[in-house]
Amino acid sequence: MITITDAARKQLAEVLAAQEGSGHSLRLAIAGRGPQGFEYELTLLRADEKSNEDMEVESGALSVLVDAASADNLRGATLDYVQQAGGYGFKIDNPNPVWRDPIALKVQRVIDTEINPGVATHGGHVALLDVREGKAYIRLGGGCQGCGMVSVTLKQGIEKAITSAVPEIAEVLDTTDHGAGQNPFYQPAKSGQSPFD
Amino acid sequence: MQRLLLLMTTTTYKAEAYLDAAQRLGVSTTVGTDRPQALAALDPQGNLDLPFDFPEVAVHRLCDFAARHPIDAVLAADDEGVVLAAHLARALGLAHNTVSAVETARNKLEMRRALQSAGLPIPRFACFPADADPGSLTSEIEFPCVVKPLTGSGSRGVIRADAPASFVAVFERVRAILAHSGRDAGILVEEYLPGVELALEGLLQDGRLRTLALFDKPDPLEGPFFEETIYVTPSRLSPELQAAIADSVQRAVVALGLRTGPLHAEVRVNDRGIFLLEAAPRSIGGLCSRALRFGRGGSSLEELLLLHALGRDTGGLEREAAASGVMMIPIPRAGILREAGGTEAARAVPSIEEVRITAARGQWLVPPPEGTRYLGFIFARAPTPDAVESALRQSHGRLRIDIDPDVTPPEASPRPVSTLERSAR
Repeated sequence: MITITDAARKQLAEVLAAQEGSGHSLRLAIAGRGPQGFEYELTLLRADEKSNEDMEVESGALSVLVDAASADNLRGATLDYVQQAGGYGFKIDNPNPVWRDPIALKVQRVIDTEINPGVATHGGHVALLDVREGKAYIRLGGGCQGCGMVSVTLKQGIEKAITSAVPEIAEVLDTTDHGAGQNPFYQPAKSGQSPFD
Repeated sequence: MQRLLLLMTTTTYKAEAYLDAAQRLGVSTTVGTDRPQALAALDPQGNLDLPFDFPEVAVHRLCDFAARHPIDAVLAADDEGVVLAAHLARALGLAHNTVSAVETARNKLEMRRALQSAGLPIPRFACFPADADPGSLTSEIEFPCVVKPLTGSGSRGVIRADAPASFVAVFERVRAILAHSGRDAGILVEEYLPGVELALEGLLQDGRLRTLALFDKPDPLEGPFFEETIYVTPSRLSPELQAAIADSVQRAVVALGLRTGPLHAEVRVNDRGIFLLEAAPRSIGGLCSRALRFGRGGSSLEELLLLHALGRDTGGLEREAAASGVMMIPIPRAGILREAGGTEAARAVPSIEEVRITAARGQWLVPPPEGTRYLGFIFARAPTPDAVESALRQSHGRLRIDIDPDVTPPEASPRPVSTLERSAR
């Protein structure tokens, strides 16, 4: 299923050994897709938090689980631990394509070539999360997240670009948690009227 | 397909509501904004960059645009765009309020004078230059009074003063607010009126007022600041008094010369009569319009306003029978919003339909009178206005708002991620 390098095993063993109690597992899942490809979620679970639906790829002292829904897209991946001049951390090399669905692939191309270069000028980025039944689910980040004009960006920009280039898509849905935004919702513009600006 | 020019500043709360309404009605929308939009190049027909403070430049730019993409109606989403909308509509020959009527309605001094000339009851008032020495004015002032900027909305800069000593401090505070907002217009000082306050949401058709909703404001607005909180409709005042309020607003509309489009009026009622505080050619602020539904299909206020602006029939669209209301969640103190908790519990209160926190974690919050933004909104719908009000209060009581009052720069905090997540990326 996945390969765990010696460096990753060593680091994981240290992390697991540092936990209180025994029976901890590392759970690996794909949380979404972003400008850099898959986005991963690595979680430490106590023994009582394990789900029978997860797939166990390593057992014993080094217990590693894979989220069942992510399994297809993690097949053949390698979990490594790297130390470089810029920092250190776990790294996942994944040979799987970010999208297998040809429609999703077309949408991703529009996002990469037409949308993200534009929103990047305002400090934002757009990630495609899923494509189902003629709907594209996206998440906005950076300066877009929480912006009061995000509806305009979505309806008058993103949706029009995607639906005109990919006729199979009828609607684009924003799944962003704008309450956690970097650009707080409805805040006066940066040269705006707050007396404390 | 008809095309609407929708004017919005980048601080609007209403983008989603208007664009959804336009989509439901099959209307093409061009969004005219005060700042360039990130993806404007992907939809050149859908976006137009317009300088709100330079109507001549905006008119020139719009006429050039309209020659290629004809515009059927112009509508301003918020107070900031109403004057420009009048200029643009005039340039295109579209039905709209005149520029002078809108400018009169938007300036509190000009509005007071127009209403006074028409013989309508208004609070006694006087206007002073912003750089006046407040200490020298106290002999001219009757107390208690209310000090406010000549323009603006959302109770920003509106403060009550009860005595000469506090008046000096209040005047200086309003002056500081004006200076920070870049406006150097005068400062209005008017008689404080006791009584209950109501808001009337209306639609003007050929100068006739159609009342869409009359909201009670059950929280006492006695100052020193006048932060909006709860709106509940239908009003619990007697039908006779409600009719008198509508009549008073109608007379004000005539006096101001307003003839078409949305109207938002604020009135105070006491044993001396009905006093008009504001009659603005715009719709209700914030997300409050979500408290209103019209017709069998539950059309939004924005749908109704778009239909009217485009000359379509709005006759069958009356407000629903149920009572409804909204609470603009007050900002209890200045500071950084750490957490708005308890939202699930707040939503669980019977009759509560939505709790929407619009401030973001990490956002720097400013309460009135300096601030104009809201922490969020709670919406309720129930068989009676009393039930709506009770649900809103109960729901608000379940929120846990954690604000760090330490003065720190107004910048957002990154969303925390675990060490493992961070190291995996």
